[in-house]
Amino acid sequence: MEKIKVNMKVNSKPVTVEVKPYARLLDVLREELGLTGTKEGCGIGECGACTVIIDGENVNSCLVLAASMEGKEITTIEGMAKDGRLHPLQDAFIRHNALQCGFCTPGLLMSAKAFLDKNQNPTREDIKVGISGNLCRCTGYEQVVDAIEEVANKND
Amino acid sequence: MLKFDYLRPGSVKEACRLLAQHKEKAKVIAGGTDLMVQLRDEDKKLKDIAYVIDINHLKELKYIKKDGDYLRIGALTTHDEIYKSELINEAVPFLAQAVNTVGSPQIRHRGTIGGSICNASPAADPVPPLVALDAQLKLVSAKGEREVSLLSIFEKPYVTNLAPDELLVEVYFKGLPENTKTSFIKLGRRKALAIARMNIAAAITLDSEGKVVEARIAPGSVLPKPDRVRTAEELLLGKAPDQKLLEEAGRKVSEEMIKRSGIRWSTEYKKPVIEALTQRVINQALGVE
Amino acid sequence: MPLLGSKNYDYLNKPVPRVDALDKVLGRAQYAADLKFPQMLYGGMLRSGLSHAKVAKIDVAKAKAMDGVFEVLTYGDLKKAKSWANYMYITDTVRYVGDVVAIVAAETPEIVQDALKAIQVEYQELPGVYTIEEALAKDAPLVHEGAPDNIFKESHFPVRKGDVEKGFAQCEVIIEREYHTQYIEHAYIEPEACVAVPDPIDGTMTVFSSSQNPYFTRRYVADILQCGMHKVRIVQQTLGGSFGGKEEGVGLIAGRAAILAQKTGRPVKIALTREESILESSKRHPFRLKYKIGATREGKIMALEAELVDNSGAYNNQTQFMNFRAAVHTAGVYEIPNVKVDVVGVFTNNIHSGAMRGYSSPQIIFAQEQLIEELAEELGMNPIEFRKLNALKTGSLTATSQELVEPVILEEMIDTLVQKTEYSKKREAYKNQSGPKKRGIGIATCFRGCGFGAESVDASGATVTALEDGTVIINSGLVENGQGLKTAYSQIAAEVLGVPVERIHFIGVDTHSIADCGMTVASRGTVMGSQAMKKAAGELKEILKKTAAEMLNTHVDKVDIKDGVYFEVPNPKNKVFFSDVCNKQLWSGRQMSVFAWYEPKNLNYDHHTGQGNAFPTYSFGCVVAEVEVDTETGYVDVLNVAAGHDVGTAVNPALIKGQIYGGIAMGMGFAITEEVEVNKGKVGTLNLDTYIIPTSMDMPQMSTLIFECDDKEGTYGAKSLGEPATEAVGAAIANAIYNATGRRIRQLPADLEKVLLGKSLRGGGK
Repeated sequence: MEKIKVNMKVNSKPVTVEVKPYARLLDVLREELGLTGTKEGCGIGECGACTVIIDGENVNSCLVLAASMEGKEITTIEGMAKDGRLHPLQDAFIRHNALQCGFCTPGLLMSAKAFLDKNQNPTREDIKVGISGNLCRCTGYEQVVDAIEEVANKND
Repeated sequence: MLKFDYLRPGSVKEACRLLAQHKEKAKVIAGGTDLMVQLRDEDKKLKDIAYVIDINHLKELKYIKKDGDYLRIGALTTHDEIYKSELINEAVPFLAQAVNTVGSPQIRHRGTIGGSICNASPAADPVPPLVALDAQLKLVSAKGEREVSLLSIFEKPYVTNLAPDELLVEVYFKGLPENTKTSFIKLGRRKALAIARMNIAAAITLDSEGKVVEARIAPGSVLPKPDRVRTAEELLLGKAPDQKLLEEAGRKVSEEMIKRSGIRWSTEYKKPVIEALTQRVINQALGVE
Repeated sequence: MPLLGSKNYDYLNKPVPRVDALDKVLGRAQYAADLKFPQMLYGGMLRSGLSHAKVAKIDVAKAKAMDGVFEVLTYGDLKKAKSWANYMYITDTVRYVGDVVAIVAAETPEIVQDALKAIQVEYQELPGVYTIEEALAKDAPLVHEGAPDNIFKESHFPVRKGDVEKGFAQCEVIIEREYHTQYIEHAYIEPEACVAVPDPIDGTMTVFSSSQNPYFTRRYVADILQCGMHKVRIVQQTLGGSFGGKEEGVGLIAGRAAILAQKTGRPVKIALTREESILESSKRHPFRLKYKIGATREGKIMALEAELVDNSGAYNNQTQFMNFRAAVHTAGVYEIPNVKVDVVGVFTNNIHSGAMRGYSSPQIIFAQEQLIEELAEELGMNPIEFRKLNALKTGSLTATSQELVEPVILEEMIDTLVQKTEYSKKREAYKNQSGPKKRGIGIATCFRGCGFGAESVDASGATVTALEDGTVIINSGLVENGQGLKTAYSQIAAEVLGVPVERIHFIGVDTHSIADCGMTVASRGTVMGSQAMKKAAGELKEILKKTAAEMLNTHVDKVDIKDGVYFEVPNPKNKVFFSDVCNKQLWSGRQMSVFAWYEPKNLNYDHHTGQGNAFPTYSFGCVVAEVEVDTETGYVDVLNVAAGHDVGTAVNPALIKGQIYGGIAMGMGFAITEEVEVNKGKVGTLNLDTYIIPTSMDMPQMSTLIFECDDKEGTYGAKSLGEPATEAVGAAIANAIYNATGRRIRQLPADLEKVLLGKSLRGGGK
């Protein structure tokens, strides 16, 4: 099977990769580009650990063919801090103890970012909907929602 | 994961050409939220697939527009886009409600209305409102175009009768009459990432005296194939809905379920629950709680 | 006294941010599946898919001949195919669907899959046993030849206190009830993974793994390789949750990766899919709990008799340890003069049960805390008054006749929770509701022996090393699972040394770096495991103090330290930095590091009678849950949960809250949605679409009430919390459902069908 050449932007940098036609975006990020912050937890789009942002929207990278990413802009957890400074959400996650084992954290941060980028004044319930595609087994989500809420309120 | 070659047509026309060329050996991918899972699980029905034809980037199939009395939705419109559409929220709010219960934000950002229809899951949340709306589908192939009713394509769970070279490009339906109220209910085991245990859509049109002039009731995961329940709808016609009437309507739906599916291990649960959900969805549509 | 800050510490009792948080929010924390090595191969397993069978014939020739395949091994290829605990690395006798009949190493994961498909196996299927009843039936097929009647003999634990016959004779009201619980999956978001890296020169096998207990993993690897343990090095990677699950399962994959690495001479990675993880990891034991309990008309419980049987599945899965804890806690938080308890496990051809957060307590409390309300109702008594009348108090004798010498603040906790939640008012109001959606409120209390107790040795070791610049490296054989152990240990070392937490670095476990300190289980990490840390830091503090005294020109008794500055007690202006003292220490050739070992006191427990001191101390909990039950669909919406926990000393309140919130989520899943469906041994819920854990949208309003007390046993008076955080939630929800509907849920989960019909319809209505 022929490999497919794909030009995309990953964390603001142009990247050209040759991918297998059936390769998932998740595998290409982790194996080809070494971006292992994006995790695999289920492979079927349930757990959200593989969440990345494509053209501004949070999606499960396990359900995306890498070959289809021509011209797309992808943000992974590695692209969240800019110029050595944490994104406000990352900082809030630390201060609110919004993580434990940390395996779901990159995906949750991706969803939280995509959500806040589009929602100016979310309620606590809106935030819960915004991260409802990210399963976490440790935290019960409470401190995660606290952290996102704090950042959302600062955005006002 | 099944292995396949990846084809990326630049237009609907080219997609049709590829489908005509590869037929059963090809499978169309849109948002991929169902197909990618099936490919990973090496679903038996995909065992002969050699090509995946990616149409997701074809912007020409991404639209929601009003066309006279009709609303037209391009097959590649995502659940999220439908949920956020003012047009949809005004004209057919139960469709917006339904698509917003699909999976999770991630799934709603990728999953498309066309994909959801073609996947033919009996639990698909967008389908009951579309059934209630008597939605029509526009299919194209290298040979031309045809239009069929949504109901006519479902053969059995996860199987449609679309020809292997056909591409679903649009779903459309006539807007609802004035004074029509709609609602949708999904019963899942949790509030997100849930597969519908059952779901149901209803659209009720009342006259100035509060009597039903038109009723559309479409349950999901209840009948062997998606359908409206005409017996329940007809019962309501000409009457002002009250508790007793709605109870009876609920029984009509469960009778239809048993008539078409027979008694199964799950009937003991589904019968009383679909009766209750029928009442509830009509009450909700009418604003009665 | 819900806290906070009533205790006077510098670094404890404070919500210090997690020391590993930065790596985790940046996505740079390395989990086992993230690792890559030059020349690395991938390993994979062929699983039987059958519940009970003999391998009649297995042909691997085709697989072996494939391009990119480096090794294929079957049962006959191993010197020793059975692990030190009785699991099979590879087997020719299939006892459950996840059993492995061949393993493969190949260049890519794809080739591994292709090779596995190319292996041809002929099985001779055998009749199996799946339920407790089937296992115990006369002439039932045997799961293990060494276990007659399928009874797991070593897992039988009794408790005999007083004389139950005489006790029941004194009772005016006696009830008998039976409860059942289901298989529960840990559902950590990280599936198990490891990479085995052989060193061709010195023969050491290093395994980087997602182990909850790296020393446990080491036993498996040394066992399969049949080499000395000194040639096996396990390095724990950042762990993506475990909850008791990454013990045997990780040992098995580490062993398989190691043998493939040894045979091929190349690093081998094995990363499980979610489906494999659910198949091969242990599950929370399903229990059948039969209780008989009686009380006088005045409400004094006089006798309790219980027979608990748990379904152990196919392998030896800690039932023989867990059932000790089960037996000790079967009578609940009540002082009952006559108690007779028997707990025993049975083998079946199912997925195997093992350790999972609670270690029998969620199951027991689910039964026990409903039982107590059922008895109260029979007596016509208020459940709160009834509980308090019989509750354990300071000085009470437990079911094992252990005198509770440390403070018991259970009653105070119950009162606080009842008041805060308006429990009594709501409970009455909810008895009369109209409409399909009915609310209910329920309470459950619990207690838990802290640490291993008489189950195992609660010893631990730790090293504390000062560096010349005044920073400190600490190490312990206990591990960070996500619970925050690195942070808690850093706080404890900081507290002892008088040095800010930021200057302390916890290494993380490499089995070559420190002695086996026992498993990070049983909620013992902070309570008992850190005893050695406190001791080592304390010894180093005294050693450094001598140098500080010299530098301050004063007597050592007059030296104290705060925030990294030594000072003379009567004259604080005379001071010297910790870093300067460390520097001087090094260049004076004095000791910079201490390794200390903590040996627990002897408890004096008799396992034959179940009498004696079972645990050094106990933590207590009280949970109130409020639900709304849709009586037309069976849907249970958990609206509010208030959880009160007596943690002794709150080492880190932010981490404690995190444990409680997470515990509530897990308890909710246990109560209403979660069940690993098993049908004749076949697992129907193999991924997270059908195994249903709570999402953010499902979570209730939560409130936490953290209680402290002065307990002498744990490190700085800390008591267990990790498991208490989840154990009573299910019971509180079950009692709330009863309040709402008037129907008891005696079999979990309380899912749609169970709540509506009173029976399960899952898996085809079994």
